[in-house]
Amino acid sequence: MIRVEELEKHFGALHVLKGVSLEVQKGEVLVIIGPSGSGKSTLLRCINLLIEPDSGRVFLDGTQVNRRDIRPEWVRQQVGMVFQSFNLFAHLTALQNVTLGPIRVLGTDPTTAGAQGRKLLARVGLADKADAYPAQLSGGQQQRVAIARALAMNPKAMLFDEPTSALDPEYIREVLDAMAALARDGMTMIVVTHEMGFASEVAKRILFMDAGRIIEEGSPEEIFHSPKQERTRMFVGKILR
Amino acid sequence: MATTVAVPTRSSALRVRVSKTAIRGAEMAVGTILVILILQTVLRFNLLDEDLWKLYLPSFLDGIVLSLRYLGIILPLSVVIGFTIGWARISRFRTLSWPLSVFVDFFRGVPPIIVVIFAAVLGPSLLPARFQSQDIGIIIAALTLAMHSGAYQSEIFRAGFMSVPRGQLEAAQSLGMTNGAAMRFVVLPQALRLSIPPLANEFAVVIKDTSLLAIVGGFELFGSSFIFEQQILFSPGNQLSWIFVVWTAVALVYFVMTFAVTELLNAIDRRYHVKGLEAVTV
Ligand SMILES: Nc1ncnc2c1ncn2[C@@H]1O[C@H](COP(=O)(O)OP(=O)(O)OP(=O)(O)O)[C@@H](O)[C@H]1O
Ligand SMILES: [Mg+2]
Repeated sequence: MIRVEELEKHFGALHVLKGVSLEVQKGEVLVIIGPSGSGKSTLLRCINLLIEPDSGRVFLDGTQVNRRDIRPEWVRQQVGMVFQSFNLFAHLTALQNVTLGPIRVLGTDPTTAGAQGRKLLARVGLADKADAYPAQLSGGQQQRVAIARALAMNPKAMLFDEPTSALDPEYIREVLDAMAALARDGMTMIVVTHEMGFASEVAKRILFMDAGRIIEEGSPEEIFHSPKQERTRMFVGKILR
Repeated sequence: MATTVAVPTRSSALRVRVSKTAIRGAEMAVGTILVILILQTVLRFNLLDEDLWKLYLPSFLDGIVLSLRYLGIILPLSVVIGFTIGWARISRFRTLSWPLSVFVDFFRGVPPIIVVIFAAVLGPSLLPARFQSQDIGIIIAALTLAMHSGAYQSEIFRAGFMSVPRGQLEAAQSLGMTNGAAMRFVVLPQALRLSIPPLANEFAVVIKDTSLLAIVGGFELFGSSFIFEQQILFSPGNQLSWIFVVWTAVALVYFVMTFAVTELLNAIDRRYHVKGLEAVTV
């Protein structure tokens, strides 16, 4: 479904991605862990072309999409993204947040988009918050609206960039539950997270990234309990504690 | 902390807001009348002096009409200039940014009165001879006042744009919106809402700055009243207290214009206010 080959990215003199390759099958959940600054966010942003990689290839359904003749907007339409800081549109209600993409990008008529939007909000447990503005919602509720907003574009895959790390502890569960439900429904997902419980439960594979490279890959069991690389061991030790 | 706030229906919300404006207006009227009554007592004049108004009314009304005409040019034009420059300076047109910042710094650093004099004197000489006239000079001076305020407003709009967090643009792009659509549907509505309160302040300044046009012959309310006042001073038999009447009346008109414009913007602000929008952007 998503394949990445030899991605390279520099920010000025900073070499952030040093030849990253990965592949995610349809319906699979891939978790990426790694220390701060290792390039996890940059990798996700290169996959939906929010950032243009310096070199390397990004494939969606077998088609290379980081090409001059493919509009990045078209790629982003098909790969949803959920951000650490929610980024809900502050001037719109929860429902308007969810319907803006379908109405303005897909050209869905507002009535249909509204009905779909309400269904999606119900799916993340927020049917009663349709008319609330982001500032009136808790962090967990905002993040669930953000998930519904991404789903409204009917994406082929979803990228999650530390979706729970800005949340107060009491709101983490509800967001992880929404994501787990999504995974059960067969959504293809790449998730940057340090929630080990979630990773063990939902992901088949985990990638450990450090300093712009994928250092180790394995099942949750392997990565969390018997990592091969010293750096993985040290990092896992830290997040376990 | 998950607060559930009942979102009022549009019509009821609107009714509340309209009456808020009405209440503000009523408060202001009562306050103003009190101030005038006190002034009248202390300075011993009568704002409704019939003998004076018989003489003054034509200049007064002509002045108001001319003031409104100048404002009709200056206010909209200054907003267009300010918005365009503010936008250009945050957008990709970086090459424009340097000359625009010179423009902005120039107008912010020079007193508007000097700008008006230069514009009125030099402006027409740049035009072909058959267009040269004092009226053209005044119009050029008015346009320059619009540029002056536009320079200030560009900073207001620029600040508005810059206080919309970058994540808003990214979230819009991540839905597949083009940059244009993301700007139009996500960034712009938020930037404009954030610009309205400082814009109301700037408009209050612009309204009063139109009086500067009097010194180059644009006899709007201030100018026409000034000329009339000179006539009273030099006509034997007229009462000096009339001077107080004239300037109180003039001040009152500027006050009402300023109040009306800022209150209109405040009403728009309340109408489009979104709870928490400022909090997100602080
Ligand atoms: N737009 C940018 N311009 C310049 N440098 C950047 C930019 N985005 C990221 N970087 C730098 O690239 C490096 C990798 O950043 P990235 O956000 O991908 O790391 P990360 O693994 O997601 O870290 P974190 O866990 O803190 O989110 C960091 O050193 C960061 O400072
Ligand atoms: Mg990150």
